[in-house]
Amino acid sequence: MNHAETPAIRIDGMTVRYGRRVAVDTASLTVPRGSVYALLGRNGAGKSSLVRCALGQQRATSGNTEVLGEDSWKHRTRLMERIGVVAEDADAPPEMRVQQLADFCASLYSRFDTKAFDARLDRFGIAKQTRFGDLSKGQKKQVSLALALATTPELIVLDDPTLGLDVVARKSLFDEVIAELADRGTTVFLTTHDLTGVEHIADRVAIMNDGRIVLEEELETLKARFRRIRFAAQPVALDAASFRTALVRNWGAGTEAIVSNYDDLAFERLRSNATIQSADVSAMSLEEIFIAVAGEKQ
Amino acid sequence: MFDINPTDAAPIWRQIEEGMRRMITLGALKPGDTVPSVRDLAQQLRVNPNTVARAYQRLTEHGVFAVRRGEGTFVADEPSQPKRSERNEVLRDASNRYASAAISVGATIGDAVDELNTSYDRLVREHRRKA
Repeated sequence: MNHAETPAIRIDGMTVRYGRRVAVDTASLTVPRGSVYALLGRNGAGKSSLVRCALGQQRATSGNTEVLGEDSWKHRTRLMERIGVVAEDADAPPEMRVQQLADFCASLYSRFDTKAFDARLDRFGIAKQTRFGDLSKGQKKQVSLALALATTPELIVLDDPTLGLDVVARKSLFDEVIAELADRGTTVFLTTHDLTGVEHIADRVAIMNDGRIVLEEELETLKARFRRIRFAAQPVALDAASFRTALVRNWGAGTEAIVSNYDDLAFERLRSNATIQSADVSAMSLEEIFIAVAGEKQ
Repeated sequence: MFDINPTDAAPIWRQIEEGMRRMITLGALKPGDTVPSVRDLAQQLRVNPNTVARAYQRLTEHGVFAVRRGEGTFVADEPSQPKRSERNEVLRDASNRYASAAISVGATIGDAVDELNTSYDRLVREHRRKA
């Protein structure tokens, strides 16, 4: 099999049930090799269940999940050699020193790169003799990332890596990820609430809502098609422009609409409508798009 | 250097391309100067290195950058200016957006042109200072 051509992750129709509750509902997604892929969703949207199944920590009720070309459940043991994971609650026995943790991982992973690990700890400013229990939350994440990257993985999975971190710790974590991308082109799959942090580095995003993948595409395409439009007229004026709207609401005496298929010509048609005195269009950040798509119950 | 604006309608690689061209036009980067490595610029702007690489590739294809094997990437000896048609298209695009914003806040054409002059002068001044 040609590894370069199989995607890093391919999930096809994954469903995860807990009793009668459906946590993941026929979700499908593809993470291309070498990409930075962000899975977004509110708490309880089903991200964690999906990630656990992709990592072979849990078996999906149905569907196919391949990671690096192999079935993520059947071949979970040998896949772990090739994947680096930073869990949401990076944990280790509190008495263990960072050095002991590194020794332990080095004994498990044949490819463990001690030099790279030491260099990262230096950049993070963490002493190897520190007890894990004495590290701050941000430092625990940093140690966890350094351990994960030291195994020179083909794929790195970050489950909400910046949750609970301050601005400085967040920045240094993203800096390491960017350096890793530049040096080795590792595929990165992450879930996050930190949309501003991820906006500059993600190639591709998916939005999960109530267990379903409601949107999956290149970030650039997504940002090109979403726009906020405000105009001084009633919402009915939108009919002339054939826009699909994610949200329409009153804005002063006029209307605010978030459209998901923006194009300049359609906007000109809207603006040339005789009943409209003024109309304005603005680009949206990923966070604004996310709120429009997943923020309000439809 | 320059900043990346996430709410700009232009994709990040285009903002990088534009930023580099601006620095060259204004003399902050001169012909023959080494340009920052993809890794360094990605770290500095905190963006995906692939995005920087994409902008650099376009700049190289358009003869703005020159790659010397084993030595790195440089500003070309005679960095090419965009073609007239290309330049006009960029200007038309940007002025449509600007005119739309000006009209929507009720600015006169005079006010809009004054603001444009101020911005143009400020950018030139800032880059000259850094050059």
